[in-house]
Amino acid sequence: MKLTTNTTIDETSSVARVALTGALNTDTAPAFDQQLQDLVASNYKLTVLDMKELDYISSAGLRVIFKAAKQSKAAGNRLAAANRKPHIDKVFEILKALPDMAVFADDKELDEYLDAMQDQVKGS
Amino acid sequence: MTKSITSKLILLLTLCLAVILSIGMAIDYRLSRDEILSRLQLESIDTVNAVVTDLENWLDSVEGATQFLGRVLEQREYTPAGLKQMLKDLVENNDDIYGAAIALSPDVTDHPMGFAPYYYRKNNSLEFVDIASKQEKYWQQPWYAEAVNAAKPVWVEPYFDTGGGEVLMTTFSVPIYRRDNNGQRFLYGVVTADITLEELHQYLQRLRLGKSGFGILLSRAGIILSARDPEIIMHHHLEAAEGALDVAAWKKLVSGVQNGQVMSSQIDCPDILGSCMIRLSALQPTGWPVGVIYAEDEILAPLRDYQIRTALLGLVTLLVMVAVVSLVSRRLTRPLTALAQVTDQIAQGKLDVPLPRIQGEDEVARLIRAFAAMKENLRTYIDDLESATAARSRLVGELAAAREIQMAMLPQGGQALEQSATFALWATVRPAKTVGGDLYTYYCDDNNRLFITVGDVSDKGVPAALFMAKTISHIQQYSTAFTVPATGMALLNNALEAGNSNCMFVTLFFGVLDLNSGLLQFASAGHTPPSLVRGGEATPVDQLSGPALGLAANLEFPTNSLQLRPGDRLAIYTDGIDEAFNEQAQMFSSERFDRALESSIKDTPTEAGVHILQLVDDFAGTTAQSDDITLMLIDVLALPAVAARDKIHSSFEPGPLLTSRVGNWLQDELRKFDLDNVLIMELMLVSEEVATNIAKYAELPADGEIILSIARSDTDVLLEFADPGMPFDPLQDSLGANLGADIESAEIGGLGVHLIRELTDEQRYQRLDGHNILRLSKTLSSAG
Repeated sequence: MKLTTNTTIDETSSVARVALTGALNTDTAPAFDQQLQDLVASNYKLTVLDMKELDYISSAGLRVIFKAAKQSKAAGNRLAAANRKPHIDKVFEILKALPDMAVFADDKELDEYLDAMQDQVKGS
Repeated sequence: MTKSITSKLILLLTLCLAVILSIGMAIDYRLSRDEILSRLQLESIDTVNAVVTDLENWLDSVEGATQFLGRVLEQREYTPAGLKQMLKDLVENNDDIYGAAIALSPDVTDHPMGFAPYYYRKNNSLEFVDIASKQEKYWQQPWYAEAVNAAKPVWVEPYFDTGGGEVLMTTFSVPIYRRDNNGQRFLYGVVTADITLEELHQYLQRLRLGKSGFGILLSRAGIILSARDPEIIMHHHLEAAEGALDVAAWKKLVSGVQNGQVMSSQIDCPDILGSCMIRLSALQPTGWPVGVIYAEDEILAPLRDYQIRTALLGLVTLLVMVAVVSLVSRRLTRPLTALAQVTDQIAQGKLDVPLPRIQGEDEVARLIRAFAAMKENLRTYIDDLESATAARSRLVGELAAAREIQMAMLPQGGQALEQSATFALWATVRPAKTVGGDLYTYYCDDNNRLFITVGDVSDKGVPAALFMAKTISHIQQYSTAFTVPATGMALLNNALEAGNSNCMFVTLFFGVLDLNSGLLQFASAGHTPPSLVRGGEATPVDQLSGPALGLAANLEFPTNSLQLRPGDRLAIYTDGIDEAFNEQAQMFSSERFDRALESSIKDTPTEAGVHILQLVDDFAGTTAQSDDITLMLIDVLALPAVAARDKIHSSFEPGPLLTSRVGNWLQDELRKFDLDNVLIMELMLVSEEVATNIAKYAELPADGEIILSIARSDTDVLLEFADPGMPFDPLQDSLGANLGADIESAEIGGLGVHLIRELTDEQRYQRLDGHNILRLSKTLSSAG
């Protein structure tokens, strides 16, 4: 029951991408919380939590994510949870936590969103 | 005292008699008074008349004698000696005359002083005096002049006689005329006769009416000749009247009499007792007013005496009456008083007190005889009652013993409470009478099966109790054969039918609960369907029912199945509950029973049972319990499933990586249960939330461990968490966070509770033996 993360930064489009593998539970949440706080503090426009490889999440893990989502929103940025497995999605729904987050069902939706964001940057 | 018949009689009779006497006396007084009054008036008139007549006779005789002498002297010439002799004879022979004189006219006598011999009485002898020698020109004296002037006999106004008798007197003067030789009439002289006012006064003394009444005599000129007060004699009457009486009225009286009338009046006369009656008339010869003055009050004194006598007589009569009435009524009521005292004693239960003896046939005698009869009847009645009461209390004692015996037939004496790790059972029987026909039994066999019966024998009271005893003994007899309810029911039915000639019957619920699987199989012999409380809602269990037991042999009974889950409460009861009536003849009904079950679902079975029966009692109000009542509540706990099956458990010390340790163990074990990954993930999640909550809030002691047990059946997966921490029910005590916006600030436990509730189907917390026990079950889908 471990959690490994792989963070990739796209400075040009100001997008941080965190790939989560394993379990985000009471034991792993504190370390991840620290890591995510640092990332949010870097003030990227969008932070994407890629949950494609995340098998398990508990309320402690969710709490870390909500906190980061709130902080991002307050800073004018966004936090997204992408590629949620059904049973993880169910936990999100039970706790009614989605409204504050950018949500992407899969990579395709995420890519579309990223393209739109880059267009905005170029356009502005 | 005033309430006794005697005093009432005395009071009433005295009052009535007093009124009657008063009325009689008043009428009598009215009549008597008039009579007495008229008699008194007549008397007074008679008195006056008699005196007046006497006076008149007297005066007549005085006048007659004088006039006779006058006529004699008219006819014949007498010598002075002859005149004197005649005069002396006149006075001597007439006691009525005080004195008499013959006063010759100075013209006919040679004496220059005139001649007027006068005899009068003094000290019982006659005295003589020649008035001429005493009174100069006596012919100028009124007693002479008035007669001469009138030329007829007159009564002279009274005067004081000086030179003669020296007394107050009045004089009757008769002028004597003669004819001379020429036939010329001339005055010869005057003959007088005196009467003293003293004499007149003596006459009038007889005019006494009453104590202070008196006669009064006036002269024609109104000079008082006689009256009570000597002082006023010779005074004019008006002068005397001034101040003594009502002058105007008096004057009117006197003038009336002077005109010849007889006057009578009542006038004010302060002199004599304020008011006085006056009767006044005139003396015929003289025209003098004569009368009597008297006080009416004094005259009426006899009348007053009469009144007082009558009143006294009435009073005495009344007193005698009171005495007599008191005597008579006491005599009459003496037996009643005695009877009252005896009755008081009878009322205290002393029926041997003798009644007062009485003779005769009157009402009191009849009353006392009736009392005697009543006393005898009472004694008989009380004797009967005593023996009936004795018999009754014997019966009551027997029934009480029977009740104890009957209750002893029921598990735990009719008040059962069975608390085990696998189930909780509470049951009670409440007969409508001392003994009843309701019953319940339960026992648990070695195969962890709970056998339950609840039954209701037809009718109630002793016959029902006996049949109930028979039923119970048969249930116990066949207990080992009762593994299948339908079979057991058929056996029991045949046993009860045998020899049941008076067709008693019993409705029975017979169930076998497999405590390993929670499966209840039951058969019903016409019994009210039990109610199941699940998820806070109570509903009657659908059942196929057979006929009541004991009526016919070789019957079949359908078997019903009901899968019970942890948290379910099954209520089996008899129709004494749903058919309890209230004052409006409404039934309590199964619906009310189900609502009562729902309202008490949070209570322990004991509390719930007591509460439900209380609701039934409140509903019935004053209506007596009409039928026996039996209620059995069975709580299926979550633990028995885990406890009974091949459970797997592990202990975890709190500390770092608790969640991972729990999760890893659980994942490995659940995989052995052949469950899909999503379900395993969910159960791992739930376990993490529970373990986190316990570690955070239960304040585990240093060596405290969390024990997690798991088990799987065909239908569900069970998780049981046990910890020795302080009492903490995560379902109740943790603060369920508001979801949505507040998630960030929510406590971790608060979020976890939502997940626990959502991801499992049953949650049950229990504090047992110093441990928090949380049991969670997840129902497996049919595909699972």
